[in-house]
Amino acid sequence: MKIQESMPATKVERSAKFVKTGFQIGGNYIKHYSKKLFNPDLTREELNEDNASDIYNSLSQLKGSALKVAQMLSMDKNALPKAYVNKFSQSQYNAPPLSGPLITRTFTKSFGKRPEELFDTFNPVSTNAASIGQVHEASLNGKKLAVKVQYPGVADSISSDLKLVKPFAFRLLGMNEKELNIYIREVEERLLEETDYELEVRRSIEFSKACAQLKNTVFPTYYPELSSGKIITMDWMEGMHLKEFLATNPSQALRNKIGQALWDFYHFQQHQLKAVHADPHPGNFLITPDKKLAVIDFGCIKEIPEDFYEPFFALVWEGLMNHKSATIDAFRKLGMIQPNDTARQVEFYYKSYKEMISLFSMPYASNTFDFSQPQFFEDIYDWGEKITKMPEFRQPRGVKHFIYINRTNFGLYTILNELNATVNTQTYKPAVKKQRMKV
Amino acid sequence: MAKATVKPIITSQEIEEEYIDYVLTNNEPPKSVYDFAKKLNMTEAEFYTFYSSFVAIEKSFWTGVTNKVIEKVKEQQIWPSYSAREKMLSFFYGYVELLNTRRSFAIYTLKKHAKRLSSPEVLSGVKPVFENFAEEVINDGLDSGELANRKFFSKRYKDALWLQFTFLVNFWADDDSTAFEKTDEAIEKGVNVAFDLFQHSPIDNLFEYGKFLARNGKFREKMGI
Repeated sequence: MKIQESMPATKVERSAKFVKTGFQIGGNYIKHYSKKLFNPDLTREELNEDNASDIYNSLSQLKGSALKVAQMLSMDKNALPKAYVNKFSQSQYNAPPLSGPLITRTFTKSFGKRPEELFDTFNPVSTNAASIGQVHEASLNGKKLAVKVQYPGVADSISSDLKLVKPFAFRLLGMNEKELNIYIREVEERLLEETDYELEVRRSIEFSKACAQLKNTVFPTYYPELSSGKIITMDWMEGMHLKEFLATNPSQALRNKIGQALWDFYHFQQHQLKAVHADPHPGNFLITPDKKLAVIDFGCIKEIPEDFYEPFFALVWEGLMNHKSATIDAFRKLGMIQPNDTARQVEFYYKSYKEMISLFSMPYASNTFDFSQPQFFEDIYDWGEKITKMPEFRQPRGVKHFIYINRTNFGLYTILNELNATVNTQTYKPAVKKQRMKV
Repeated sequence: MAKATVKPIITSQEIEEEYIDYVLTNNEPPKSVYDFAKKLNMTEAEFYTFYSSFVAIEKSFWTGVTNKVIEKVKEQQIWPSYSAREKMLSFFYGYVELLNTRRSFAIYTLKKHAKRLSSPEVLSGVKPVFENFAEEVINDGLDSGELANRKFFSKRYKDALWLQFTFLVNFWADDDSTAFEKTDEAIEKGVNVAFDLFQHSPIDNLFEYGKFLARNGKFREKMGI
């Protein structure tokens, strides 16, 4: 892999990068419409393709939080046309690494020792990038280890990066910039948490303990004594990424097994721990040689507050949606229907959101659900397309918690779809209070 | 007032330590060499056998740090396998690491010099040491083909690195970020930019092309030169 030679540093430089992208996108539009003058059949697909590669190119040079945003956007496949998604998906695997001496410097700062003094072996060339850090292979006492080293100055640049990404998110998602702020802040909070590696080690240990009872899911051992605010040491997990796994043409039974492990992992967390690994992009999982699911990154955890959990899962799970007044009540609690909405608006949003939630909760409606069926995803994409064209949905609605919960569940669905898995959806049911049902 | 149990000073190193201690405790240099020598239980003449002035101590502090860092980075197992770029990065990271242990005194000596843009007088002793080291690293890079050998210019690479050095030292002195993370970023980016310029680049090709065209007779005729 090519070592990245420079990383745009100051805000000015980063802005310049984004401005350039802006120009390029503008240029793409001009190119598109002038071509369209002569060839009216030209689809938007080509334009989207052009835009996606330009945005991706500048984001991948920015590294850090901007890359994270690229990853985030790529998770929300429903909000983005397919061409964007393909390009952004690349960012989940590759980002250029930093220099060897800086790695050494990070170690001496944390431990007063160089990596080769701390470990028996340490490979100064990183094996892959982890969006805000990079992973190195090391060994100690015959054990193979994965050492994650964070880029310096990441936490510092997150806020300024997000400010720069905002106008783009605004354009890509068609949202109002002011309204977007609440959501951006939520994202900023999670991203800043992700830069705290000490927190990540603590959480990783907690979560892997709590999830130990799950069959077919394994976690690496973490070594707090070899970790610091900028470094995480854990067991090296052997295994294949999802794409490699699928390339081996696994049997349906095996696909279902991995799919079920994923489903159980997520639903156990949401409903038993009320906190969830909110970063279900394929780069965070491995399929081990003995065909188990390995979870290798607990950087992003979303805690689900009670005042969100209750109304949301009561809707999804307990047939609450058969009662109109109770449903509207829940929508109000979730900010999907707002206090100064007119009667007509209440009716409109009630219908629209009911449609959305019925769609998203389809997997729960039967005992097993086949995620390979394209119809389910087509319906979701169509619904996404439809609402982006509706002026009523120009302004985002719903409390901020939706971002990560939707991202988590939709990310899970997407992976299950790629696996073509059929899973039992009735394991680890939501724990909503029963009295809510009497409404 | 002389301390009761001062052991006889024998090395320049110990004089330096005493001087640093004095300056940091009193936030000013001793009133005179005479006064300082007396505190050390030595005569002024004895002091001059080690240093000619207080500024000489400060200069020797900086050259001392520089020599030590160069020695330390070269001790690293990985050193021979580093590229020129990585060697220079390693030097700078090692430099700020060592300087951090003496940050107060280093800043004190730097702040005495108001002109921050030119290199401070106190670093004058460092310059030959650093340039010597830089030249060594650059020559390694030129030999391995990592860096572009350009007539006239390759001799100036070390000057560019010296500018980098004084810039980074000043940057570090003003850095108030946690664990001096900003300095790390400044090093990573600054050194990389310098080495990007030292490498073969499109400009070299353009220059070669220009030379080729200039030598080409027909082209010259057509251009009416």
